[in-house]
Amino acid sequence: MVIKLSSRFFKQYTVKIEKRLEYSRKFAILTTITSILIAFGVAGIALSILGVDVVVAYTQVLTVFTKLPLLIEAIKYAIPIGLAALGLNIAFRMNFWNIGAEGQIYMGMFASTGIVLLHVYYGLIPEYLVLITMIVASFIAGGAWCTLPAILKAKMKVNEILTTLMMNYVAIYFIDFLIYGPWRDPKGYGFPLSVPFPSYAKLTILFGDSVYLGSILLLTMAMVVFLILKYSKLGFELRVIGESLETARYAGINFVKAITLGGFISGGIAGLGGLAIVSGIIGRLRPRASAGYGYTAIIVTLLSALNPWLIIPTSIFFGGLFVAGNMLQATLNIPGATIDMLQALIFLFLLFGELIKRYKLRIVVRGVSVEH
Amino acid sequence: MEELLHLKGIVKKFPGVVANDNVDFTLRKGEIHALLGENGAGKTTLMNIVYGLYKPDAGEIYVEGKRVEIRSPRDAIKLGIGMVHQNFKLIPSHTVMENIILGLKDVGFVINRKKVGEEIRKLSEQYGWRIDPYVYVWQLSAGEKQQVELLKILYRKAKILILDEPTSVLTPQECRNLFHALRKMAEEGIGIIFITHKLEEALSISDRITVMRKGKIVATKNAWETSIEELTNYMIGRPVLFKLDKNKTDSSEDFILIRNLKAYGDTGALALKNVNLTIRKNEILGIIGVTGNGQQELAEVLAGLRKAIDGQVLIDGMNILNYSPLKLIELGVAYIPPEPIKYGIAPNLTIRDNLFLKAYRYKPYSSRIFINLREVEKKAEEIIRRFNVVCPNTSIKARSLSGGNIQRLILARELSELINGWKPRFIIAAYPTKGLDISAAEFVNRTLIDYSKTGSSILYITEDIEEAMMVCDRIAVMYDGRIMGVFKPGEVSIEKIGLMMAGAETLTTS
Repeated sequence: MVIKLSSRFFKQYTVKIEKRLEYSRKFAILTTITSILIAFGVAGIALSILGVDVVVAYTQVLTVFTKLPLLIEAIKYAIPIGLAALGLNIAFRMNFWNIGAEGQIYMGMFASTGIVLLHVYYGLIPEYLVLITMIVASFIAGGAWCTLPAILKAKMKVNEILTTLMMNYVAIYFIDFLIYGPWRDPKGYGFPLSVPFPSYAKLTILFGDSVYLGSILLLTMAMVVFLILKYSKLGFELRVIGESLETARYAGINFVKAITLGGFISGGIAGLGGLAIVSGIIGRLRPRASAGYGYTAIIVTLLSALNPWLIIPTSIFFGGLFVAGNMLQATLNIPGATIDMLQALIFLFLLFGELIKRYKLRIVVRGVSVEH
Repeated sequence: MEELLHLKGIVKKFPGVVANDNVDFTLRKGEIHALLGENGAGKTTLMNIVYGLYKPDAGEIYVEGKRVEIRSPRDAIKLGIGMVHQNFKLIPSHTVMENIILGLKDVGFVINRKKVGEEIRKLSEQYGWRIDPYVYVWQLSAGEKQQVELLKILYRKAKILILDEPTSVLTPQECRNLFHALRKMAEEGIGIIFITHKLEEALSISDRITVMRKGKIVATKNAWETSIEELTNYMIGRPVLFKLDKNKTDSSEDFILIRNLKAYGDTGALALKNVNLTIRKNEILGIIGVTGNGQQELAEVLAGLRKAIDGQVLIDGMNILNYSPLKLIELGVAYIPPEPIKYGIAPNLTIRDNLFLKAYRYKPYSSRIFINLREVEKKAEEIIRRFNVVCPNTSIKARSLSGGNIQRLILARELSELINGWKPRFIIAAYPTKGLDISAAEFVNRTLIDYSKTGSSILYITEDIEEAMMVCDRIAVMYDGRIMGVFKPGEVSIEKIGLMMAGAETLTTS
């Protein structure tokens, strides 16, 4: 692309936008950090318009990451976000734009709660098996929720962005229906809540805090995703499919099978995120229990450059923002949507950063070029 | 003699490469000047600068002695420069006349169709063409489309004519027609720049030949003073052996039988109408023809990538029609696809991954679930060396390789017995040397010949007749989804081959 500056003064200059052939790691990291800082800056302007003391507010945000109890709180939020992001990592690798982690999280919650209810109401599963059954069930439920769009895409080329996105709403309203209807706790004074989970159905069974078992789950899944993508045959197939379906076909890869399986694993890991919410943070099912973690996960995955290990610190950062949001709401009376705004700004500036990473400006002066 | 065009010290840099490095070039009135060079030598870049598509980073352009600045094709056309690109820039759903007058100002607001049509008809007859100005462009053959492109330029009274690889889509007869017409234009005083990488062509058509290599002008010679040997030397910096040593025993054992094969093309029309072929053991069977007559569809059907609707394909007596690509891979069918970047490799994956694109699923390179990276790495290093793929290591992305190295990588993958140590029994090579420089093409052809000596049957699709004559044991001509005839190199004259390629003649013997 060429922009011509046509005033008399600029007559001899042409600004060209050129593709960068490559960029260093250092440059990439620097751009990312700068993008986040600019996002905070712009959000700061918005906050000061609301009459908030930005310095006080941001100091509070910072304490989330410096004070241990708050950091632990941040990690608790980071667990569902990180699990969903790990799931997305697999999908994005095969060029499957799964926007449906939110719905898959809700299906995970549905399955976990379902198992608890089966146990509580019908005494079906022995106590010591409840949690493990919940984990398996939430994986299957989330996985199934993603398998459908995966099959549709692999077999009939149905656009997965639309199907996964729309299936989010189906999942959310399905949970609404259950919790305002058959799953409402009869002893709950009419509130739209399920029965509280018994202690052995909660992630708190290890050392009395959900952060331990949750972290183990997150780290294990990061390891699983890493192994699948780096060392497994399936991971190899997914990478080839992500490059080009034509090439995959040419290589004799059964891409319907690979996409379906990849979709199942992707949704399954996101489904575990649902378990981490009901069984880790809330301890029961309530409507709208996920505050958009499935969408935040998209940002986390892209920000981590599809590296499963980077997803962990990145999701802690975003988990911290959720905690900070709740805190600011209480102490400074800032609207809760501020955190959504901040997230959106971070995403926006990251996209700008991506442009800067890929393109560079070059000013051409009468045939002589000056690099910028 | 009067100089029409003079380029002085043209420099054009793209990120990472210098496409034109201080290039000087002149075109005289009434001459045909061939611009010769391998792919990537900078010929097209230079001409795109003249046509205003690129702006040079440095250098001066003179047209008829006057210093000019060409900022866009519009400027170029105003200066009397016309260019016919390799892929035609006509609008298929418009008529010939509409295409020719598109963008012209002096035809007026109300177009006198009769007058303009008559002018176009006369102009076309002047060069021995029969172009009806009222037919739609989609109804024309490739050769006729090229004539329309030329008419478009001539109608604008151009003085400088640039042709980018004009013969790549033509049959030998059409080529000869084109050359006649170009001679006539030159006699009328038009200066013609003829971009090509084919030496014989440059020698037979032009008055002067300029050779480019790696962005620089290596030599400018009068055509009557130079030879193929000298030009190759300039082009690639060393002499090349044009004779490939075939030297092998003739086999009469039919190994692959293709019978009554029919398949649809991408547009839903029958692309293979009735293909019958046999390929013997140890044989390279060439398929020549104008691109788009079903060659690619044939290759795809044989590789399992396109469904056939009828027919039989027998390998050693076993019907493999419509087997899945995987099954065919396991039966020892290797496929070297056209447009390697698009189909043959995954450009963003590593060289190693690309080498094991098919073999990753077999022992010892993987177990049930995991890939054995150590084994893969070891083997990758070994075959990279065997097939001369030039790269710092096997962990870099495949797209950073040059065209020749990418094709070597594909050969290495398809031919290196990765799967259970099997040699490919049937190799389908679709345009395997297209876009490669001479030495890389030579390597590809040599490798294929070596494999044919040791038991592989090879189907070799090309649009270069001379190459087919050099490499193949027998040659089939394909036209409109059918085989027009099969012959041994030298058995049939070039004229006859041309007629077969144009669908005007068939051959029943051999």
